[in-house]
Amino acid sequence: MRNKIGVVGDKDSVLAFKMLGFSVFFASEAKETRRLIDSLADKDYGVIYLTEQLAELVPETIRRYDARMKPAIILIPNHAGSRGIGKKRVQENVEKAVGQNIL
Amino acid sequence: MSKGTIVSVSGPLVTAKGMETANIQDICRVGELGLIGEIIEMRGDVASIQVYEETSMVGPGETVETTGEALSVELAPGMISQMFDGIQRPLDEFMEKTQSNFLERGMTIEPLNRERKWEFKPSVEAGAEVEAGDIVGVVPETKVIEHRIMVPYGVKGRIKSISAGSFTVSEALYVLETDEGDKEFTMMQKWPVRRGRPIKTKLNPEEPLITGQRVIDTLFPVAKGGAAAVPGPFGAGKTVVQHQIAKWADVDMVVYVGCGERGNEMTDVINEFPELIDPNTGESIMERTVLIANTSNMPVAAREASIYTGITIAEYFRDMGYSVAIMADSTSRWAEALREMSGRLEEMPGDEGYPAYLGSRLAEYYERAGKVITLGSDERLGSITAIGAVSPPGGDTSEPVTQNTLRVAKVFWGLDSSLAQRRHFPSINWLNSYSLYSNEMNEFVGKKLDVDWNGMVTRAKALLQDESELQEIVRLVGVESLSERDRLKLVVARMIREDFLQQNAFDDVDTYTSRNKQYEMLYTILDFEDQAVRAMDLGAYYDEIIKGTDAVRERVGRMKYIKEAELDKIKEIRDQSKQDMQVVLEKGGVESDA
Repeated sequence: MRNKIGVVGDKDSVLAFKMLGFSVFFASEAKETRRLIDSLADKDYGVIYLTEQLAELVPETIRRYDARMKPAIILIPNHAGSRGIGKKRVQENVEKAVGQNIL
Repeated sequence: MSKGTIVSVSGPLVTAKGMETANIQDICRVGELGLIGEIIEMRGDVASIQVYEETSMVGPGETVETTGEALSVELAPGMISQMFDGIQRPLDEFMEKTQSNFLERGMTIEPLNRERKWEFKPSVEAGAEVEAGDIVGVVPETKVIEHRIMVPYGVKGRIKSISAGSFTVSEALYVLETDEGDKEFTMMQKWPVRRGRPIKTKLNPEEPLITGQRVIDTLFPVAKGGAAAVPGPFGAGKTVVQHQIAKWADVDMVVYVGCGERGNEMTDVINEFPELIDPNTGESIMERTVLIANTSNMPVAAREASIYTGITIAEYFRDMGYSVAIMADSTSRWAEALREMSGRLEEMPGDEGYPAYLGSRLAEYYERAGKVITLGSDERLGSITAIGAVSPPGGDTSEPVTQNTLRVAKVFWGLDSSLAQRRHFPSINWLNSYSLYSNEMNEFVGKKLDVDWNGMVTRAKALLQDESELQEIVRLVGVESLSERDRLKLVVARMIREDFLQQNAFDDVDTYTSRNKQYEMLYTILDFEDQAVRAMDLGAYYDEIIKGTDAVRERVGRMKYIKEAELDKIKEIRDQSKQDMQVVLEKGGVESDA
């Protein structure tokens, strides 16, 4: 089972991922972000990296994929720095899985 | 005519000896009271007689007199809007004559009023050649039914004289020159109830019976000339379903046989029916109804006869070229009457004590339904649709009466007590009911409406089927695990169930739904699904669609209360649904995301 990895974010932050071979998509506002994520989910993308700044605009869309196995939406900081929500999500998931916050 | 002596009395069963000249099925007068009975078994000179009245205080030694005639009904004007008992005695006249609310014994009452005069208008002239079944003239019996006077079976000849004017049922109307000389005929015919009235040919039923009940007309239609069974446990609404069909079916005549059920149900019929207006004729529906009552406290043996009396009357009207519906509520009580008699006769019992011939008796009854070309040279079309309620104990349809009924009836409306408890009426279960006429009837309706009705019905059925499968998953792992498409399916199936199938028999508008309105309603619901699926494909989320169409879904829910004259309003709902879906798309979920 081979899945692709996609990155969605503002150009300055995510362009560098292209070097690693990820597919990179640019977005700057909610509608665009939502459409991109929905269309990536429809194709066989397994992991989508999304900048925290964009994630804040589309919480509904992110919640929609929470319960699904694919794709995993991972929040990353952008060049302007971290907002902490990405880390918080990881901690929440760990708590759900293990029962307590071990990080 | 022979006279015998009673040997023993056991409930409604009387045995008498010295009856060697009597024949099976002869009617007898039993005892000093002269109770009416019918011979159902002969062994040597000993006859077993089922007595249609109470037999208390009748004892051995009393006489039995046979009349040499089979149990027959009188067929002539005067039957419509009457209520008869199981052996065609008019109950209101009975009450007048006996001054009692209960059946007095040994009464002889003419089934039809002998004094009343009917206006007869001949439709043939003297000199015409007629054969059995030909119409010689008509009597306007009620505002909607024209009683056609037919030449009796087995008679053929040239009309010598015929006159117009007022006649009673027993006065001579016309004289026929037959091979055996001149014969006088009256309006009245007699026919033995246990023999089906002859027909020319039986046809394949192809036209649906419109009942105005959405679940029946759309999902499980019955053909005119078909047979349907309505099994259901107590309180599931068998009687209401039967009443609804009796009220609204688009037939010319209805014969309603109340067989072994509560007396109050027949009272309901008498109270309600005269006030109801038939949508097809604009007259009271009592003007086309004949009632046969043998309620639970009336003699058991007459219950057995009531079904035959009913279908014979139905056949007579069918022979005139009418479409007739006969309701029997309930055939289980009738089968229990058979069981009681069979037990007293000490016959070998079959399943659950029912006699071994239960199946053939039921088949005999249901096979008298059908669409036919009647006797007579003008080849009239007539039909009898038989709808029988069955009350299986405990709602378990694997019992003999239901099973034997299903063998001959092509439509099964399974009533479900769990639906009835949820106040879903009519509680016809859409998963286990079936109609073997479905395809033909849907094609017919589709052609009439010029739409793909069969496709729509199949789609609605598939949705309901899918819903039950999805519900299983939801019960196991929760609604979250379903895909958005499946969750939408649940919503649409729920709309079909609650907004379409559920129907309130006691609401003035909702009680009857025309074919056009049924189409509009179903189309609106399916159109909603199409719109929603399209919106989903364009990227709208399930939650957004549900939130955005709240108002329109509420309107769909109330669409059943839209009057027949205002069907445009349903179209408006479709337009609104389209608009609302557009709004959902335009917002693109951004608002709820922000």
